[in-house]
Amino acid sequence: MNDKGKELYDVIKGKINSMKEEDSLERQYWNFWKLGCFLKTKAHDLKNVYEDTSREFVDKYKEQLIKMREQVLENLDYYVEKCINVMRKANNFKVHYAKTNKEAHHIFMEELGDNKVVYKSKSNEAKDIGIIDFLKKNDIIIKETDLGDVLVQLFDYKLPSFQVGPGAHFSIDDIVAKIKEMHGVELEPKPSAIVDYYRKTYRKELLNNVKVSLTSANAISAEDGTIVLGENEGNISLLTRATEKHIVVCGIQKIVPTVLDAVLVAKIQSRINNVPFNYINLISGPSSTSDIRGINVLGMYGAKEVVIILVDEWRTKAIKENLFYKDYLKCISCRTCNFVCTAARAFGNIFASKYGWGATAILTDYIHNGIEAAVQDGLFFCTNCENCYHWCPVSINIGEIMKSIKKEAKKAGLCPPPLKEYQQKILKDKNPFK
Amino acid sequence: MTKLIYLGCLSLKNYEPTCKNAIKIIKFLDNEYKVLDDAPCCGSLAFNISSDEELKTHIQYVNNWFRANDITELVTICAGCYSYLTKYYKELLGTDFNVEIKHLLQFITEPRNLEKLDLQYSGKKLSINYHDACHLRNASKPIIEEPRIILKSIKNVNFNEMGYNKTNSICCGAGGGVYSIFKGNSDFNAKAIFDNMKKGKILLTACPFCYTALKRIKEENNIKKSIIKFEDFIANLMEGVDPIN
Ligand code: SF4
Ligand code: SF4
Repeated sequence: MNDKGKELYDVIKGKINSMKEEDSLERQYWNFWKLGCFLKTKAHDLKNVYEDTSREFVDKYKEQLIKMREQVLENLDYYVEKCINVMRKANNFKVHYAKTNKEAHHIFMEELGDNKVVYKSKSNEAKDIGIIDFLKKNDIIIKETDLGDVLVQLFDYKLPSFQVGPGAHFSIDDIVAKIKEMHGVELEPKPSAIVDYYRKTYRKELLNNVKVSLTSANAISAEDGTIVLGENEGNISLLTRATEKHIVVCGIQKIVPTVLDAVLVAKIQSRINNVPFNYINLISGPSSTSDIRGINVLGMYGAKEVVIILVDEWRTKAIKENLFYKDYLKCISCRTCNFVCTAARAFGNIFASKYGWGATAILTDYIHNGIEAAVQDGLFFCTNCENCYHWCPVSINIGEIMKSIKKEAKKAGLCPPPLKEYQQKILKDKNPFK
Repeated sequence: MTKLIYLGCLSLKNYEPTCKNAIKIIKFLDNEYKVLDDAPCCGSLAFNISSDEELKTHIQYVNNWFRANDITELVTICAGCYSYLTKYYKELLGTDFNVEIKHLLQFITEPRNLEKLDLQYSGKKLSINYHDACHLRNASKPIIEEPRIILKSIKNVNFNEMGYNKTNSICCGAGGGVYSIFKGNSDFNAKAIFDNMKKGKILLTACPFCYTALKRIKEENNIKKSIIKFEDFIANLMEGVDPIN
């Protein structure tokens, strides 16, 4: 182990210690997280309101889903081209294909023009592509709209947050106190009062002030270029309608063959996590009307312009070079693997990266920032239990991918010392305990 | 042609009575099986961090040892050994690897063995749970039904499924060498396994890694339920000893 290895091992141990401190943010977060995981996994096997359990629903479509994702990845170039063509020709979308994240950042800035404020939905893709960091660096004001993220932003919260239910760990009293501190308004400590406050104030702003909005896509249909976006709050509905320009930023892996496939992806995400998608938006063009003498005019009540930035970055390379994590491209971002993950349950928010939380976020960090980043995120907390694999609706073996990253870490001298000692003893003495 | 009892280094180091029990069971069922003193480690703890070349060198060493001792079949009591011997040895050595690998659970499940054992519990009806270890449920030939067949065959024993079981079982948090570096992983997960027991008075595990974590958590948290290794449980029943004591 080199000096960097020791340093990172100490960083991780420091994180564990902070998690043990009763009042630390890490601790608070973890306490909530344990409960969240418990409820999520439990909910998989409950019938709830449907005739089938979430698990049964996912199992019913699993084979179809896997086949569909494999088909896309085997022919990714074809689907990307087909999708871009149809989006341009049929949907009046302005489409950019960015080879790199950096290219995507510049395209976004150009699309932004003189605007200095971007309203965004919860978008892991935007984090992954680094748009948020880039915009912040360029003094663009980011306004969250998902209530969870609004709260996280209100608290100026530094740690990565849940992908499903961000901000759910804040107590009602803390939220009410924070709103008083930041906005000078005293609210009754009730969820409905908080929601009502944002409905009365922020909804108005969303209806009237949004010039540029940013969302990702749950899936995009190559067949007709339709963007599918699921949500429960209605913020995405507002962001995609009550705006001048709606910009969609996502990786090319979001493309699926047909609009039915795209809806299936959204349905699986909703059912598997037991989060209601009260609205599934299917967007096939900017708002338009032909009611005046049949002449088509864009921008009636909804978005005047819809801009799509499709990003490649590592994706085509992973396929062409058969990289060990290429299977991750099949991912439909349902985050189930995070809820059932042994390491994530045990280590909460310290098994995470700046891209979010859990093994997938660590993998993303590895892809963008290399092996040291992954080790620092808690790579070696992973027990290779493969719970992630067993629960994944598209059967991605994240555990196996983590194993490959561990091997690379060892090669780079970043493996925790006790583990390395065992290995040395096995290889030399043929017994780890001699 | 030698039939080997492959105990695994963790059990050999920490669980000598269990090793003796396992040997008793295996030899009772087939006396041709024997233990050899200098059996090398399968390499389990090194697999997650070693390069293919390092692994291959180690695996070849172990295979040469098997050959030198004319090992054609082995029964292992270690979930980790079973998982790695059946996966990587075949993968990396191909047809050069000619040892038939069985886990004790598979060995016991063979009909003539189950019949010969004819197990029963002599006390008041005993309610048990079985924990599916990752090493067994994830193996290239998963061991999932075998323990259930065995346990259901035992007279006066009531087998209960865990809330999360088979491929969805909760991991004890000790796998992948994590126990040697971040024990905290088990603090939450091993405890969750006990919480996940339905009805059972005792929890059985066939993995020495899981046992190590579960035992510690039981003691630290004053958990009343017993944690018992599969081999010990079976050996006790064979001898009419109450496994709970
Ligand atoms: S294999 Fe690793 S990443 Fe997957 S569930 Fe287990 S601990 Fe989490
Ligand atoms: S890897 Fe699988 S389980 Fe995890 S987020 Fe992606 S699709 Fe969901």
